[in-house]
Amino acid sequence: MGIKVLGVNHRTAPLDVRERFVHGPHEVPGALARVMAAGASGGVLLSTCNRTEFYLVADDEPALETVWSLLGERLAGAPPGGVREYGYIARDRDAVRHLYRVSSGLDSMILGESQIQGQVREAWEASRAQAGPVLHRLFQTALHVGSRVRTETGLGMGTASAASAGVAVAGKIFGDLAGRSALILGAGDMAELAATCLSNEGVQITLVANRTQERARAIAERLGGRAVSLEEAWPQFATTDIALCSTAAPHAVVTWERVGAVIGTRRGRPLCILDLAVPRDVDPAIAQLENVFLYDVDDLQTVAAQATARRRDEIPAAERIVEEETDLFWAWYGGLGVVPAIKELRARMDNLRTAELERALRQLSHLSPEDRARVEQFSQSLLNKFLHQPTVALKAAAEEGHGYGLLEALRRLFGMEPPA
Amino acid sequence: MIVTLHLVALALYAFATALALAPFMGFRPAPRALTIALPCGGAAVHVVAVSQLTLVGLGPALSMLALCLVLLQLASERLLRGSAVSFFAGPLATGLVGLAILSGLAPGAEVAAGRNAWFVLHVALSALGLALMALAFIAAALYLLQFRELKARRFGQVFQLFPPLERLDQLNRFALVAGFPALTLGVLLALGYGARFSGGLQVAKAQVVWGIFTWVVLGWAVWVRVVRHWAGRRAALASIAGFAAVILVYVALKLTQPGAERFL
Repeated sequence: MGIKVLGVNHRTAPLDVRERFVHGPHEVPGALARVMAAGASGGVLLSTCNRTEFYLVADDEPALETVWSLLGERLAGAPPGGVREYGYIARDRDAVRHLYRVSSGLDSMILGESQIQGQVREAWEASRAQAGPVLHRLFQTALHVGSRVRTETGLGMGTASAASAGVAVAGKIFGDLAGRSALILGAGDMAELAATCLSNEGVQITLVANRTQERARAIAERLGGRAVSLEEAWPQFATTDIALCSTAAPHAVVTWERVGAVIGTRRGRPLCILDLAVPRDVDPAIAQLENVFLYDVDDLQTVAAQATARRRDEIPAAERIVEEETDLFWAWYGGLGVVPAIKELRARMDNLRTAELERALRQLSHLSPEDRARVEQFSQSLLNKFLHQPTVALKAAAEEGHGYGLLEALRRLFGMEPPA
Repeated sequence: MIVTLHLVALALYAFATALALAPFMGFRPAPRALTIALPCGGAAVHVVAVSQLTLVGLGPALSMLALCLVLLQLASERLLRGSAVSFFAGPLATGLVGLAILSGLAPGAEVAAGRNAWFVLHVALSALGLALMALAFIAAALYLLQFRELKARRFGQVFQLFPPLERLDQLNRFALVAGFPALTLGVLLALGYGARFSGGLQVAKAQVVWGIFTWVVLGWAVWVRVVRHWAGRRAALASIAGFAAVILVYVALKLTQPGAERFL
């Protein structure tokens, strides 16, 4: 038995492959049950848009084979063994380190992103019934490592997505965004993400959709804002603080003719326009207006890229924390229950020896007290000799970090109860 | 002793300034605690030094002005949650303390004036008013630099380290509005002191001309902000123009006046 991770992620598989491996929360117990049935004593399934990973306490075979089969079933039409091209396996200490790097954002597509921390927690909670004590401890410490890295290093600093970069740029104009107003043109995924980012900062949202008014209304309702039609949007350029444009229009919709005169009535109050659309929604000429700050998706990606570059400088500090915590976990895992198990084993064997000795001595009543003492000494010596090698082997395995597997074997062989 | 204390304050201010400017020279930003502790330490030493000064003459006036500026810098940085004000205030305060030491910290001819409460209060309030005017200038300069970067879509050190535009605009407004009553009282105390203790009011004296001119400029800056509701870039340009005019007039008057150790 040992800790294993088998998975695919954004480094090993393209999106069209990764998305086929994604397991919804309702699929997790079934998938883990199959792996447990194949001999794993614990399992957690972490499945996000960028990774699907099975964390197991198991022997190499056949539990890992079962995971390959599980993943292979989702790749219809792939040649046998094809799934292995996209996957990877890390064992024992490497598996622990891998999860710690994942939870701290070191292994994320956007370096240092914090969403993964919540995803690790959700995976752990979804697999709670099947995780077992070792993986419980592993995931608990993984969350701790993620928090440590974010607190003690700058790996999570700055903004790493275009939407959050837009919020950062608006913040450089207005300072505190709470109480500001934003007009969102578009009701697609990007518009929704950006609107959510702004709403989280306390910005009052007004959503405008030129096609799917129902969707705009639903998003606005969720964010505590309101939805208006495109015709109602233009006059709002006189009062809104932020205009975020993310429509699918093939040409500019925010033109000088539509909003130039309206913006002129602002009396110098700044207007931040974030154009996240490709092709662009906003006529670049509008940026010539004195207090208009216009940013397109390239500008915002520049801001996000700078944050990523700064985060890269923090990698060595984050890796040090991961290594330090891996050592701590491995020390715990290696010595997991070895001392109490040895004590329990010796106590059990000694009880057996005492019982058998008493029985034998009852039949040997003619023995003198000196001889009885000699027989008892013999039984004690024999027991010590029998237990010496297993004790030494267990302690050595514990020091090398393989104690858990031997303990499992010991408990099965001698019918010992696992610790509560 | 006074000179030694000034030299210690100068060294601490200079070190703090170097740390504040380090990110612009490609170095990592210094820990925030250090960038606050150094000017705080400098200000503490400086307070002790100023308390031993006789506030007459150019050197003591410059020292007082530098102290007010550093204290305002620390207060405004707490307000802005950043160290941007020190980019300008640091070199300015360091330069003023250096000039004060070079000009000499002895009181000069009118030692008696330095013991007069009217006069001491006049110097303190005028220095505070001027320091607030300098702070308004600094906020305006930071505003224009950040404005330029944001308009040009450049996201370098200025974008990263300077405070948001609106906060700088608020700081500029606050500094002007708070500076005007301080300078008004300072000028009134000077006029009162001149009339009562210094043989009558001499309107043609250089310090009176400069004092009135500064008061008018600051009053105009407050008027355009508060009454005419100027804000943003236009208000920043007005603050910078006003402060530059005040400095230019001072330098012009100083060059035409005898006595290097005299304030004017």
